Amino acid sequence: MTGYIPGFDANLALDAILLVMLVVIVAAIAATHRMLSAVILMGLYSLVSAVWLVVMDAADVAFTEAVVGAGVSTIVLLGAILLTRGAAAKVSGRRRFLPAVLALGVGAILIYATLDLPDFGDPASPANAYVGRAYLEATGNDMGIPNVVTAVLSSYRGFDTLGETVVIFAAAIGVAIMLGFGERAMADRTIEPLAGGPADHHVVLRVAAKLLIPIIALYAFYVQFHGDLGPGGGFQAGVILAVAVILHALVFGLKDTMAAVKPKFARGVAALGVLLYAGIGVTCIVNGGGFLDYDHLFPRHIEAQIPDWILGPADPAHPHHWGQHFGIMAIELGVLFTVAATMVTIFYGFAGRSMEAPQPGAPRSGAA
Amino acid sequence: MLLIGAAAGLLVAMSLMIARAIMGPSHYDRILAANSFGTKTVLLLAIIGFVFGRPAFLDIALVYALINFVTTIALMKFFRYRSLAAPLTTHTPKEGGNG
Repeated sequence: MTGYIPGFDANLALDAILLVMLVVIVAAIAATHRMLSAVILMGLYSLVSAVWLVVMDAADVAFTEAVVGAGVSTIVLLGAILLTRGAAAKVSGRRRFLPAVLALGVGAILIYATLDLPDFGDPASPANAYVGRAYLEATGNDMGIPNVVTAVLSSYRGFDTLGETVVIFAAAIGVAIMLGFGERAMADRTIEPLAGGPADHHVVLRVAAKLLIPIIALYAFYVQFHGDLGPGGGFQAGVILAVAVILHALVFGLKDTMAAVKPKFARGVAALGVLLYAGIGVTCIVNGGGFLDYDHLFPRHIEAQIPDWILGPADPAHPHHWGQHFGIMAIELGVLFTVAATMVTIFYGFAGRSMEAPQPGAPRSGAA
Repeated sequence: MLLIGAAAGLLVAMSLMIARAIMGPSHYDRILAANSFGTKTVLLLAIIGFVFGRPAFLDIALVYALINFVTTIALMKFFRYRSLAAPLTTHTPKEGGNG
């Protein structure tokens, strides 16, 4: 982007503008007392930071920030507002003093620490010189997939990713312990439709949602199976798939969605994903390798039987790495299951619970 | 040059949206600003992808467009009905049953 105007670095200008935007938004979030404003501003913050990650060429991270930060978090936070009060309590000036000093102090230390960081893209920096370079150079020979991020995430560091998947599963359990699965919303009483005038028929919205839900789901599978080649993978695809379910619940009501994607089914799939991931690891042990060592996913005599046409004819110098290909595909599928089902379970928890909670101003009903 | 001009214009528009989202005055202004900001982000990402020669960025722009739609619906529904779970229909549940 440089070179059009002498002395003007457009890349630097873009970085500066985006960072200023982030600072302004964060200051506004800290200043506001109204929860809905804070949620909207946090959505904006996610959008800006994702753009910035794209500018930094971290496409996979930007993808995650976009779907989780701007999408699901906003919706879950709205569910949290429904369960709490809509405005922050006023805090006296003296009690705000210590947290403010602490936050500013930690911020100052972090900014001071950035002075020691290597320059952006510096080839001699530790991250680029040792492990990172080894991964970049070895991925083509070891597994033959173009997206090194996917290779590192799901194969070289497969064990770490298994840990992350378990953490996400634990998040579903945590929300379920606090809020339940939202199933009582489906079971015990009829949900009255929203009162509204003739203008509230929402035909356009319902038709648009019916058109969009399959497209969003299809896009999730594109992100899933394209993860070897471009940005994306199981995490991002799982969240996008969950967004399709959430859109259905927003427009057609939680009850209809729970009839289509049952809460029991959702939490079963969340557990199944972790089981699939760990099961692949154990299969590798059984066939003579280490845990999650995909080169040993298939016994040798079975691997020899896999027909070449699945990936096209092999270059004699670089034979297909069937174990790597199928292993990565299988664990990404496990991640997809767990992430999508966890997000749906969390949404069910929040949205279902908010129907049980008494509405502000309404008399407390016996059923709640 | 043209693309940089377009990106600069988008950044100015995005700054205005941020100002509107912070100042309000009503929540409706903020929701509208957030939705408009999301659209600008999609366009900016497309331009960045084109300038950097990375068409894969269009994937991210697409996901923004989809997510932005769902988030806006969630915000509007919350704003209008204070609910995430109720169906958006004036039919009674018996004759409804759409899905």
